[in-house]
Amino acid sequence: MKKIIIAALFLAGFLPAYAQQQEAPKLYTLPSPFERYTHYLATARVMGAVPLGSFADSYIDKSSFRNASISIEWVLRNSPFSIGGEIGSTYFQKRIPRTLYQNGEGTISAVQTRTLSQYPVELFGNYHFLRKTSMIQPYVQVSGGISILDNVLYYGTLSSQHQKIAPKYGIGLGSKFLFKKDGAVGVDVRVKYDGTAYKHDYIEKGVSSVNGSIGLFYRWW
Amino acid sequence: MFKKASIFLLIAGLGMASCSKDPINDLSTEESLVYITNHDKAANFKQYKTFSIVDSVVVVENNRSGTALTDIDKDVLTRIITKMQALGYTYVSPKAKPDVGINVTWITNTYLNVVSQPLNSYYGGYWGGGFGYGYPNYYSYYETAESYWLITLLDFKNPNTVDKTFNVIWDAQVRGAGIGNRQYVDTMIDSVFGQSEYLKIN
Repeated sequence: MKKIIIAALFLAGFLPAYAQQQEAPKLYTLPSPFERYTHYLATARVMGAVPLGSFADSYIDKSSFRNASISIEWVLRNSPFSIGGEIGSTYFQKRIPRTLYQNGEGTISAVQTRTLSQYPVELFGNYHFLRKTSMIQPYVQVSGGISILDNVLYYGTLSSQHQKIAPKYGIGLGSKFLFKKDGAVGVDVRVKYDGTAYKHDYIEKGVSSVNGSIGLFYRWW
Repeated sequence: MFKKASIFLLIAGLGMASCSKDPINDLSTEESLVYITNHDKAANFKQYKTFSIVDSVVVVENNRSGTALTDIDKDVLTRIITKMQALGYTYVSPKAKPDVGINVTWITNTYLNVVSQPLNSYYGGYWGGGFGYGYPNYYSYYETAESYWLITLLDFKNPNTVDKTFNVIWDAQVRGAGIGNRQYVDTMIDSVFGQSEYLKIN
């Protein structure tokens, strides 16, 4: 809060001077503060995700649009890197029409509803290809952390639940688009591969998906 | 700037809230039904020719049992007789020494759950001074109940003479919403027999 007020006061003094730059002596030709200082950047994203590999083959192959995340990062000064943390929520669901399932001696006939909720908590590092003053800032991302999983399999209305905290990782490619040069707000677009090391019942080789997200970000220093 | 920041939070909030949707609230009553059947793999069903069935449904509630013969019970018993005859068995009176006997049971298990009140002693913060509230032991109770149909096929032909029991050679459970509705009786009974082809002797 205080910082924003200080920033506003600073800009109030800075901008008129900038406007008169042609006549005035070049006192204020400093580079952008986003280039001079390590600054903060917060992003809120909504995502669509497509299940991949054996997770899609053996459990849920239906795409999901009920995913979101919030991240905060430190954009390092004099460096193309930024580091941060991201928390999110992803949800996959699939309905299987009535089928017979053999379970030992028994036979179960039911409509299955397969669900998998994940709450990932990750640390990430971004490498930016262009300078911080650029209005378009493409980046690559590597992330790692944990995922809090809630796997609920319904037979009709009967449910069996399995919860676990499992390691997860991700590799992403994205870009930030600032609304105006040196501005604080912009759009973030990212495509990311997510993998979670989790095995239970139908899920034999982990959970993997590709998700595409669109988000808004705000940066300050 | 603050307006833009609050839009962030709103979007994120919406995203999070949408995840708490109940995944099975769109199931139809028919889809909610679950049929579970088990059978004795050693049993050779071809050796049985005749069957009989109980004249009313056994109602078991929390280990207390009685019998009932309501409209839905009659429907269930009648449908079972029809299905057994279709599979090749002959319906006989219980006195005529049937090879197999069928029990039909309606089971309700009620679970009593208890929570203590207040849920958390820190609710007492308002009056301040570092004091909590001295509550006597208030407890609240709530009940959850689950009902299901259980149909069992007993082997009267080969009774276990040592410990005087009849072996269960097949059983079927029907669970889910709508099991107390007459409309679904035929669907329920046809399904449990339909998924047990080994019962067929003709």
